[in-house]
Amino acid sequence: MSESFAVDVQNVSKSFGTVKALDGVTMRIRQGEIYGLLGPNGAGKTTLIRMIVGIVEAHAGTVTVLSQRMPNVAVLRHVGYMTQAAALYPGLSVEENVRFFAAINGAEKGVKEALELVELYERRGSVVSTLSGGMRQRCSLACALVHKPELLLLDEPTVGVDPQLRVQFWESFRRMAEAGTTIIVSSHVMDEAERCQRLGLIQYGRLLAEGSPNEIRAMAGTQNLEEAFLTLAGQKAS
Amino acid sequence: MSGHRIAAITRRLLQGFRRDRRTLALLFVAPIVILGLLGYLIRGSASAPAVGIANEDQGPLGPIVASALGDSTMIKASAIQAADGDSRLKDGSLVAYIFFPADFSARAQQGTIAPEVHLEGSQPGTAGPVLQALQQALATIAAQRTGSSLKVEPKVIYLYGGPSLDRLDYFGAAFIGLIVFFLVFVITTVAFLNERSQGTLERLMASPLRRGEIVVGYMLGFTVLALIQAAEVLAFCLAVLKVHNQGNVLLIFGVEALMAITAVNLGIFLSMFARTEFQAVQFIPLVIVPQFILSGILFPISTEPKPLQLVSDVLPLTYAVSGLRDIMIKGADLTWTSLQIDAGVVAGFCVVLIVAGIATLRRRIA
Repeated sequence: MSESFAVDVQNVSKSFGTVKALDGVTMRIRQGEIYGLLGPNGAGKTTLIRMIVGIVEAHAGTVTVLSQRMPNVAVLRHVGYMTQAAALYPGLSVEENVRFFAAINGAEKGVKEALELVELYERRGSVVSTLSGGMRQRCSLACALVHKPELLLLDEPTVGVDPQLRVQFWESFRRMAEAGTTIIVSSHVMDEAERCQRLGLIQYGRLLAEGSPNEIRAMAGTQNLEEAFLTLAGQKAS
Repeated sequence: MSGHRIAAITRRLLQGFRRDRRTLALLFVAPIVILGLLGYLIRGSASAPAVGIANEDQGPLGPIVASALGDSTMIKASAIQAADGDSRLKDGSLVAYIFFPADFSARAQQGTIAPEVHLEGSQPGTAGPVLQALQQALATIAAQRTGSSLKVEPKVIYLYGGPSLDRLDYFGAAFIGLIVFFLVFVITTVAFLNERSQGTLERLMASPLRRGEIVVGYMLGFTVLALIQAAEVLAFCLAVLKVHNQGNVLLIFGVEALMAITAVNLGIFLSMFARTEFQAVQFIPLVIVPQFILSGILFPISTEPKPLQLVSDVLPLTYAVSGLRDIMIKGADLTWTSLQIDAGVVAGFCVVLIVAGIATLRRRIA
């Protein structure tokens, strides 16, 4: 490897029973890049993300994260993972949740900064079960980045987040990427896809197309990403 | 009230159960298993309690009664030396022995039949059949000696406990173990299951935490709660209910604590085989009820049918109950081999379950 890739996925396949969740996916994600995983529900985005954090093992192929073959527990100290549904302890306060995830990563000092980033510092004493869906999502994000990971995996992070805050989320993602954090974000919101440096279109467990938003549009010969996505997906399906 | 809407609810409910095979199985299989178990336990080839017969009577009556006892189906009689009696009770090979003293026939001539009945005394329900069998055997002499009045005065001697012990004294020791085991198990199972259903376990697995750290961390957290509960249960039993206790309170607490830690780890381990809280609660009839029936709380294990004894021998609660009874009724201390074995086996269960929990954790996450 001449260039340093944060994530290197080589020809990975995974089935659940008879359903092929991933079918020979290869992708390389550069350090400091914001990479968007696009695809319809059930395309395999979440499975790919779970494989990159080592929760799911591939049937075939290899996943390398920060130069370590996965699964590897030690490398996870440098990885942040925000699950699709806000996975939090409902009986704990916002701060207690963030502090817990900081503690298991040995990063208690980052708690205040993380809470400020998601604008929950004022609400840090609130018990999670009393929060709205959007606030939970913000708390969940704080838990994922409290230890300042080198690689941040976000599985549909802006579901239930209002447009104003969504803009702020993306602003902070951009700043983190500039500081060297690699971010992989799955989404099916196309205006979010515009903000990614590169996109990977996934359908039926395969990588259909990969490139910058402009390259994707050019490939499909359409004006906007949404049409491009539908065109590319349609071509392959037929 | 709309019959149509009510029917919709009923139908929806039954449709859900159709896909939950486990719940259905539990609903219809568990009652048969539990009742079958109880039936087999009580009626099955339940072996009669082993009773020793020590006959030192100089006269003719002792041998007659002894042979009548030998024919009795209520007890399993065997001839022993009177001197060995107490040690046979202590090692558990006999639950009682009946002693006919040298002057047994002579005193019977004077109108008093006075055999000695020595009972082990730490387990409930064994005195009944022994005294009943003796009663029947003595009736054979009474039948031969009609006319003069005969006074039957068996002298009952307890090795442990005594006639002052009531049912609570017998069951108290066992219930201390059972209650702690039951509640700690249920709470741990549901809490660990929540960790998975709310998605936080997935997060933990994607963190630098190792599986062993998760399981041991959980164990310590619940153990704190379990120990407080164990102390409370013990204090209530001794101070308020005044359950008979011969032994060291700290030792009782120690066995209780081991039991609680076992329950925590069993809960963690089994929670991995349930997807919903509903399914977790189903472990109660599968895990708790058989232990309640077979751990010697209600029926002495030595009187169970042989195949069930094998089951009893692999249940952690069996050893905890035996250990607690040893301490509280017999006044056992750590120099007793039986207590060392009981505590050791319970501790062994702990270790096995921790390892099993750690091993199962990864495979069950996805």
